[in-house]
Amino acid sequence: MTSTQAEVVAEVPVLLARGITVRFGGLNALSNVDLDVAPSSIAGLVGPNGAGKTTMLAVLSGLLRPTQGRVWLRGKDVTEASAQARARSGLARTFQQPELFLGLTVREHLVLADRVHFTPRRLWRDMVDPRSLMPASSDENERVDGLLELLNLTRVAKAPVAALPLGVCRLVEVGRALASQPHVILLDEPLSGLDMKASENLLSVFQRVVKQTDRDVSLLLVEHDVAAVLALSNWIFVLDFGERIAADIPEEIRRDPAVRSAYLGDEESIHSEPVAPAGSGRDVIEP
Amino acid sequence: MLEFVIAGLVLGGIYAIASAGLVITYTASGILNFAFGAMAFFIARFYYFLHTQQSWGIAPAAIVAIGLAGPLMGVFLYAVLFRHLRFTSPLIKVVATVGLLVAIPALATIIFGSGAILSAPGLAPEPVHVYQFLGVPVTLDQIIVYICVVATVVVGAVVLRYTEVGLKVRAMVDSPAMTDLSGTNPDAVSAGVWAVSVFFAGLTGVLAAPIIGLDATNFTLLIAAAFAAVVAAKLRSLPIAVGVGLLMGIATSLAQRYLPPSSQWTGEIIDAIPFIVIAVVLLYNLVRRGRVGEIERIGGALDRAITPQGESRLAGSTSSALETGSLSLVSKYAGPLVLIIAAAALPLIVQGYWVGLMAQAFAYAVIFLSWTLVTGEGGMLWLCQITFAGIGAITAAELATTHGWPVLAAVLAGGVIAMVIGLVVGLLSIRLGDLYVALVTLTFGLLVENLVFTLPRFVNSGLGLTLNRPSFATSDRAYAYLCLAAFVIVALFILNYRRSTSGLAMNAVRWSDAGARTTGVSVVQMKVTVAALGALVAGIGGGLLAVAQTSIVPNEFDTFLGVVWLAVLVTIGIRSTAAALVAGISFVMLPALAQAYLPSWTGNVPALLFGLGAISAAKYPEGVLAEQSRRFRGQLLRLADRQRAPFVVDTLSPDPAPIDNVVGGDHGAPEAAVVVGKVP
Repeated sequence: MTSTQAEVVAEVPVLLARGITVRFGGLNALSNVDLDVAPSSIAGLVGPNGAGKTTMLAVLSGLLRPTQGRVWLRGKDVTEASAQARARSGLARTFQQPELFLGLTVREHLVLADRVHFTPRRLWRDMVDPRSLMPASSDENERVDGLLELLNLTRVAKAPVAALPLGVCRLVEVGRALASQPHVILLDEPLSGLDMKASENLLSVFQRVVKQTDRDVSLLLVEHDVAAVLALSNWIFVLDFGERIAADIPEEIRRDPAVRSAYLGDEESIHSEPVAPAGSGRDVIEP
Repeated sequence: MLEFVIAGLVLGGIYAIASAGLVITYTASGILNFAFGAMAFFIARFYYFLHTQQSWGIAPAAIVAIGLAGPLMGVFLYAVLFRHLRFTSPLIKVVATVGLLVAIPALATIIFGSGAILSAPGLAPEPVHVYQFLGVPVTLDQIIVYICVVATVVVGAVVLRYTEVGLKVRAMVDSPAMTDLSGTNPDAVSAGVWAVSVFFAGLTGVLAAPIIGLDATNFTLLIAAAFAAVVAAKLRSLPIAVGVGLLMGIATSLAQRYLPPSSQWTGEIIDAIPFIVIAVVLLYNLVRRGRVGEIERIGGALDRAITPQGESRLAGSTSSALETGSLSLVSKYAGPLVLIIAAAALPLIVQGYWVGLMAQAFAYAVIFLSWTLVTGEGGMLWLCQITFAGIGAITAAELATTHGWPVLAAVLAGGVIAMVIGLVVGLLSIRLGDLYVALVTLTFGLLVENLVFTLPRFVNSGLGLTLNRPSFATSDRAYAYLCLAAFVIVALFILNYRRSTSGLAMNAVRWSDAGARTTGVSVVQMKVTVAALGALVAGIGGGLLAVAQTSIVPNEFDTFLGVVWLAVLVTIGIRSTAAALVAGISFVMLPALAQAYLPSWTGNVPALLFGLGAISAAKYPEGVLAEQSRRFRGQLLRLADRQRAPFVVDTLSPDPAPIDNVVGGDHGAPEAAVVVGKVP
């Protein structure tokens, strides 16, 4: 274990997975994968197509049950917990194809997530309580408006999400995730389909979010854009054919021969040091 | 024993062909055809018309009815209906086929006349020749069924799996757009699928007619049994569907042989066999925690990209739970308020017999509100609300008349019992997906109708149960207002629900299952709650209806009639409380007016119209009334917004500058998704 790794995982990991194995029929989608995400950090999960990244996220978020292995969220074993129970314990996620509520406005997405976290009883009480028609509490408005501000969504707050372009939809998903005050957010290929400007904007949002000390939130980033992930993350996990082939700090990952061979000699994309032009390494990694 | 197995294989064979037809249609088109039984009935009735009434020979009659009329009907229905359903949600597809389920028998009655035909000939020449097989007599009709089963399975499996046509069909299901781009005409393939589907329906109908007679309700029952096989096959597996169909037939035959014929339970158990199969399958799936693979999103990425979003859901306008401007408040509630005032004035205007009908109309409106909750808000298609109404009515009558409860308390208790049952049915079915809810509730309705509602205690030699009105509302007029008050209370509850956090969460669940779950909202809890509330409302409405009539004959709560109710409500508007009121009044008043002032043959026209109305849900998912009021509101908004710029979404970046003024239409403004750049 390098000293840097010791630094990163010195605290109790906010999200911990051990020996995750998923079999679909005869196919091993994941074999004995370990993963841990330190508090207030950004971890990257990379790998070629079909490496099992999205399957891993599905297991971590509770949408898929692993054949073997266990998942802990802030020290609590959540392997048997449903997706919604994990969400309430502080695990949020976004999707590669945004899973938005097309009938709701941007603001309503955030309000719902906020209420699920802060006033979950309103989900049931409001049904028979006409007070639900009263204006929302000022605390709630403050939190939601603050998030809209953080994500530059104030101008579209009242727009139904069905009318919004993909880049904005991704931000809405991030906003919905943040509104539930999570300890960790799983981001499934948040940059795919975005142009360079939208990618940069989203990456800078991620950096801002993690730096906000009062949030105390970590990100697990699954992304094809290896260059962007290496630039952004504190720690990288590399999957290939369902197995973890490397886990290290970005600098070491760039040098790792196993990673290089998994990406079929795509040295350029791994070596480039692009911080700002996040879109530059896009798609080069595809074998 | 062998004799009974062989006999059972006939009924089982018919179940098998029906379920094979359903599975093949579902696999090839993504549509679960609830109208399969109605189509089977129509073609069988046409065959009877040609063969028996017009004295055609068996071969020409069968060729024209099954081989020609059936496929033509399929192509026609595809051209006018199913073609427009390609990108819609499973719910809208089901509603459209439910509309056909109502419209086709009504059309058959108008064309061929009413009157059940008890004995209809099959495909074997009469007198039917009897062969001996292992010492067991087997009729030619039975042999024809066996041959058809084998042919269906072999041809269906071989064509779908190994031929180029099958490849095209499967490609089409995956992505019509890509199929189109690769040079295959998706319309031709789909039209072919529907031609084959109705051919199967016709074959099932003609084969079944000698066994069950020519009666639309019997056909729906037959198809309910086929549904059990389809549920067991998880909608897709042809061998399992056929196998379970055959086994159910054998089980039925063996039950007839070995259960004591004198016991009343024998008949009930036989009727319950399909439901037992469904219950076992559901429990098995619950234990395995498997979510069954129904096609949530037809088509591939390209298909979704070119489909306007927001139009694909039956229940899915913007909730606007949090943002409602003053103008939209007025325009939103002015219409319903005027309607309620007009409805309140009606019992004062009309006289005598018609006042009593108004009381019934308002009770129906309460029952219809249960769908406003379950389908309008919950996005689920429950086909047994009439059963809950019946359960509410029977419980109310038992408690009030036999046990001396105050009648309103008894009505409320009836609602609570219905709610508990709704909770159980919901817990069993909702986890598996929307199509299963529709399948299971329909079968559940048929089961209760045949098992519970026929109990001698409730039927009471055809007299039914009696109920007295509460002492303060004995007159028709006073009772009508009592029902209207109940309607207003439930409607206010629904309005509050819609605008509350619960409604927000339900709306979220309806749009994205995964999104809701990972936000911490339990899909099953939200849906089961709304379903139980719907059952409560239906139960109370049923009780109110029973009290309005002061008597209740349980077989009035016929599941098929419940489907007509749903068709009425979908036609007028599934999401609007005002629509439920209009639907209640239309459902009672239109047939009464037709009966009073129009010739008798028009009796089936309302059912036909309501069926066609439900089919139009494909085009106007929110119903006629909602569509009109939306247009009216749109005009109001346009008048108000004349000075302001039209809305524009013109950037992929969330930078504030380029986004001008984003205003959503009711459907989340599908057009906005493709508008890039400033609109002049």
